[in-house]
Amino acid sequence: MYFRCKNCGGNVVYSPERHGMYCPFCESEGSDERAEGQTGALTLCPNCGGEVEVQEHTSATRCPYCDSFLIFNERVEGRYAPRMMIPFQMGKENCKKSLREKFRKCRFAPTDFLSEARLSGMQGIYVPYWFYDYATVCHFQGEGTKVRVWRSGDKEYTETSVFAVRRSMDIGFEKIPVDASEQMPDDVMDLIAPFQYGQMVDFKPEFMSGFYGEKYNMSSAEVENRARALMKEDAAKLLRESYAGYNTVRTMSEDISVRDSKVAYGLLPVWKYIYRYKEEEYPFYVNGQTGKIVGTAPFSRAKFLAYTGTLWACLTIVLALLEIFLGLL
Amino acid sequence: MEEDFKKEARKQYLHYFRFWFLSIGILAIACVAMAIANRGKDGARTNNEAPRERVYDYADVLTDAEEADLREYIAKMEGKLHIDIVLVTFSQSVEGEEAMKRYGLRSADWEQNMRDLADDFWDENKFGYNKGFEGDGVLLLHNWYEGQNGEHLSTSGRVEQRFSLRDIDQVLYAVDDYYDTDPYRAYRAYVNEVCRLMDDSLSLPFSWGLVAVLPVIAAVFYAISGSHQKKAENTVAVNAYVADGRPQIRNREDALLRKNVVTRKIETGSGGGGGGRSGGGGHHTSSGGASHGGGSHRH
Repeated sequence: MYFRCKNCGGNVVYSPERHGMYCPFCESEGSDERAEGQTGALTLCPNCGGEVEVQEHTSATRCPYCDSFLIFNERVEGRYAPRMMIPFQMGKENCKKSLREKFRKCRFAPTDFLSEARLSGMQGIYVPYWFYDYATVCHFQGEGTKVRVWRSGDKEYTETSVFAVRRSMDIGFEKIPVDASEQMPDDVMDLIAPFQYGQMVDFKPEFMSGFYGEKYNMSSAEVENRARALMKEDAAKLLRESYAGYNTVRTMSEDISVRDSKVAYGLLPVWKYIYRYKEEEYPFYVNGQTGKIVGTAPFSRAKFLAYTGTLWACLTIVLALLEIFLGLL
Repeated sequence: MEEDFKKEARKQYLHYFRFWFLSIGILAIACVAMAIANRGKDGARTNNEAPRERVYDYADVLTDAEEADLREYIAKMEGKLHIDIVLVTFSQSVEGEEAMKRYGLRSADWEQNMRDLADDFWDENKFGYNKGFEGDGVLLLHNWYEGQNGEHLSTSGRVEQRFSLRDIDQVLYAVDDYYDTDPYRAYRAYVNEVCRLMDDSLSLPFSWGLVAVLPVIAAVFYAISGSHQKKAENTVAVNAYVADGRPQIRNREDALLRKNVVTRKIETGSGGGGGGRSGGGGHHTSSGGASHGGGSHRH
């Protein structure tokens, strides 16, 4: 499917800035209508009929001939139908601005790193995620000590009190996100979080128009261990917070049990920018909702030498000239 | 496109260092302008009445080579600072009634006589860089007579106005440090100290060595700060995925098992110290009616 403008026939896309559908050709808003292809063939553009190269897990892409954004029905429906999604809140221009601001101080990055020409290749992708809910019961038993020190006259008193500490709590975890994409690096997807679930909505294919997308390509069972690890880590931290007043605590037993669990499939927005420098790839990922950036700027040796050398030479010349000038006064 | 990026890189480079390049240009022009302006005013000597001799070694404590070396050094520094620098050594009693009668001195006091002799020598020879009366300059009179060894520093004109009591003492201390082991070194120290105190030329508050080292330190700091990148951190709060933001506590128990108290005696201690110093000399009028400043050190 793709979304066509009722007024001009152009491809209508979702605009994060306008929070709605927008036709970049006639600039009308909300003029979209869903259009299906004639043949139903996955690799043919429903708009121009051009052959589109579709990767195994691609659910949305752009036609290289007519530039229309296409959404593949069979990869967003049925067993691949996402239950929820957060639509892009940050547009491409804002994302470029954020990247420029973030790497402004990286003065030894190559000149074209943040150039318009390179940044225009950035892609907005809806990344498939599994969201896990856990109802847990947590128990802790240990021995805590509290130390109190005070002075009286020329004497110092140290009082040590030992307590038996017991805690039991129910922790309900909701929507622990784990990416269901083989392509997306797990550590980066963990770092790009958190997403604000207040803006989570039911899935609508309109939100995908203007962006790229993937269907899940890792099952919920395959990635659940990551969600469980995260849940256990947070539960342990919350238990520790509950007995934070002690100077030292010795754990005697700790138990985190899952009473009930649920999983749901959804899409989260991520901007991806790949910069190639000296035959190496530097990937940057930007949270399409909050703007959080993950990535390391490349380092240009030539720029480093030129800039550092010039600064050194300029400073030496300025100081020498100052010394000469003051001597001449 | 690559050519465009190279052009952009050059543009960025020039834009980034524009203030540095501009500063260098302005400073270079200012230096040239100042050098040209200074060529006209070389501060030529205007007093032609005074003798050309500056080293009067009547006590004969310097070798001929040392005297020649000192003369050359004094001439160089006089040209730079525009003051006369005179050195007189002699060996003669200047204290007591007998010396008073024998040499026609005005007083029996050592310090009074040293001061009179120094001032009179200056006035009679009409020393002074700019004029022969109350002209700019300084004279060190060193008496090597046994039991009366000591110096007097007589200042005149600009030097008199400039030198405080502390400055005079500083010059005399510089001489005191070496006079008994190496008189040449002591008199060179006298010239050096006078020049240092009279030097008006401005300079940066650090040496040429630092001019070479400071930019290296700055460049290293610049290189490090420019290479540093703040890595993305995990900003997910511990309760980010917890329903209602917090756990539901079912049981919270803190039962006291035991308590013990340890007592320790506090040790105490104390300390202290301090000190200082000062010098002397001053303004007066010589027998010739000229104003002088000065001070003496007797060993």
